[in-house]
Amino acid sequence: MLPILAKTDGSNMGNLPIIMMGVYLLMLAGVGVYGYIKSKSTEEDYYLAGRKQGFLITSLTIIAAFFSSAALLGNPGAVYKDGVAFMLFALNLPVGGATVYIFGNRIWLAGHAKGYVTPGDMISEYYDNSVMVRILVAVLGFLYVLPYVVIQIRAGGHLAQQIFSSTPYFTILGLKFEIFDVGATVLSIIMMIYIIVGGMRSVALADVFQGIILLAGMLIAGVVAIIAFGGVTKYFNAISTLPPEALSLPGASGRYTPWLLMTLCIFGSLASIIQPAQWMRFYAAKSLQTLRRSALTFSLILPPCFLFGVMLVTLGARVLYPPTTTVDPVTHTITVIAHPVVGSHDQALIALLKNQGVAVMGTLGPFIVMLIMLAVVAASMSTADANLHALSAVLTRDLYDRFIHPKAGEKERTWIGRGIIVLGTLLSLWLVYVGQRNKDFAPLKMIVEMQFVAMAFSCQVLPAAVDVLFVHRGTRAGAVCGMVSGLLVVMMFTPMSKVLLGQGLGISVANTSLYLKQLLDIGFCGLVANVPVFVAVSLFTKKPDQKKVAELKRIMTGEND
Amino acid sequence: MNKQEKQKRKKLAITLTIIFLLALFLGPGPGLYLINPNPADPNARFTFLGMPIIYAWALLWLLVESVVVVIAYLKLWDSHKKGRINPN
Repeated sequence: MLPILAKTDGSNMGNLPIIMMGVYLLMLAGVGVYGYIKSKSTEEDYYLAGRKQGFLITSLTIIAAFFSSAALLGNPGAVYKDGVAFMLFALNLPVGGATVYIFGNRIWLAGHAKGYVTPGDMISEYYDNSVMVRILVAVLGFLYVLPYVVIQIRAGGHLAQQIFSSTPYFTILGLKFEIFDVGATVLSIIMMIYIIVGGMRSVALADVFQGIILLAGMLIAGVVAIIAFGGVTKYFNAISTLPPEALSLPGASGRYTPWLLMTLCIFGSLASIIQPAQWMRFYAAKSLQTLRRSALTFSLILPPCFLFGVMLVTLGARVLYPPTTTVDPVTHTITVIAHPVVGSHDQALIALLKNQGVAVMGTLGPFIVMLIMLAVVAASMSTADANLHALSAVLTRDLYDRFIHPKAGEKERTWIGRGIIVLGTLLSLWLVYVGQRNKDFAPLKMIVEMQFVAMAFSCQVLPAAVDVLFVHRGTRAGAVCGMVSGLLVVMMFTPMSKVLLGQGLGISVANTSLYLKQLLDIGFCGLVANVPVFVAVSLFTKKPDQKKVAELKRIMTGEND
Repeated sequence: MNKQEKQKRKKLAITLTIIFLLALFLGPGPGLYLINPNPADPNARFTFLGMPIIYAWALLWLLVESVVVVIAYLKLWDSHKKGRINPN
């Protein structure tokens, strides 16, 4: 029998988890219905909500799509592991915020004038409707989006395990289902349904609620941590007792050098803003004023969520549950092992809240802890839904519409898009299931390792995007060669290097990329190849139609009547 | 907008860009070598005003970046005023 009415875990939260999770899931179902009622059966409405999203929706959907489970688990986990060094990563957020306006402003103007829906629409049209450019932009978008969807669904499953930790499995009709599988499946199916029925309207509205939950959760978590230590002064007094390597660079594991942090802050942020889901949010904004305000909101609200919120929690967790550091005597590799109470680094936030939060917050404790856990679910789902929806647009508009059935009408394309959402969700779920049962399952192992690599793929669109938006000196051949070069370099940071180059050369390249990864952001490494190739090839190849270029320039500077 | 105003704007844009890039270079970048304490040095200073010095450094450069963004928002980001392609 489903233990719905039983106490759910040892932190005395009673039935609160199931009630709050139930309300959250009902809310998501509600936005699906709302989106369906409000939607029109046009492609522009399905993918861009009719290009009429106001400030509240635009700003929160941009934020929610940007902040994934990494914002509440991975990044704070890195602070737990390495100490204050990783807190500097918060300085990437104003970069992202400024980019929302500086890039978004021109993308919006072009999108409204020309009816663009995907990044490929704009970039390929600029380069004389180049098929190769469109394919490459779509492929790089796909290589960003799919791993991110998988990672978020996986995080959702892990959260379900944490939230219902005393319920390892459900029994339904005599069949046993592990809570991880149930959690991942339920969240994915509900998300899939509201994206299918309501398109961008449902996704964005869900992101409004999820954005509010995740921002509130991040800040409240910081407050809880401070209270758990007895106030700000006592908190920082406790932090000052951390070992020296946790209070300095390069951090306890030796990873975070200034050059790596700086390149991560710049190129990681840029990559996360120019990815397909965000690009479409720029197109979908109601006005330039909407994007302007969203950019400011992003820049000013997000950094405190890190520096006064979740990062303080896990720095405090390091004091209460110190990890163990070992150094390999032969290779001198430093390994930081999480405290048994924490389990793994990215669970540090949950560990502190579950063990300390409930006790210090009195009767509100269980509610607040559960709210913060829901914030993690919200962060995961909001990124997953945005990316799945964008994947649908990219594969439909950039591949199906161009190469498989160019004469397809809007209705057909919209239904193909829905089909892609179903397939994308099922593929992601399958990868998560298999990976959960086989830790060495290569594609998922690769995908988990590829989270930063996913950002690096997205980053390879940056030179072409900068050229289309600002520079206007590149050529189609330059853009193609640049993106291919960048893509190949980024591939060298994945296990694909051994597949592509064979064991001998592949191992050498893998060792080199391992070394480079410690020094610089992977996306930056790709750009080191991409940009010079783009520039060099552009010098000797045919320029795009200059009348079109001039027209686009006039549109983007707002001088077109 | 007359030529003088355009020049003024351009100057402001360049100044803000330089300050922002400097903040990125000094904040999470090589500027850290100015203040990063040596973990092996027993006399190294790890805190500033009670906070970890690295944390205080992050707050300082975040403030700089935020001020740049606010000034840009108020003085430069005004395409909505001159943009003519606007469904509203």
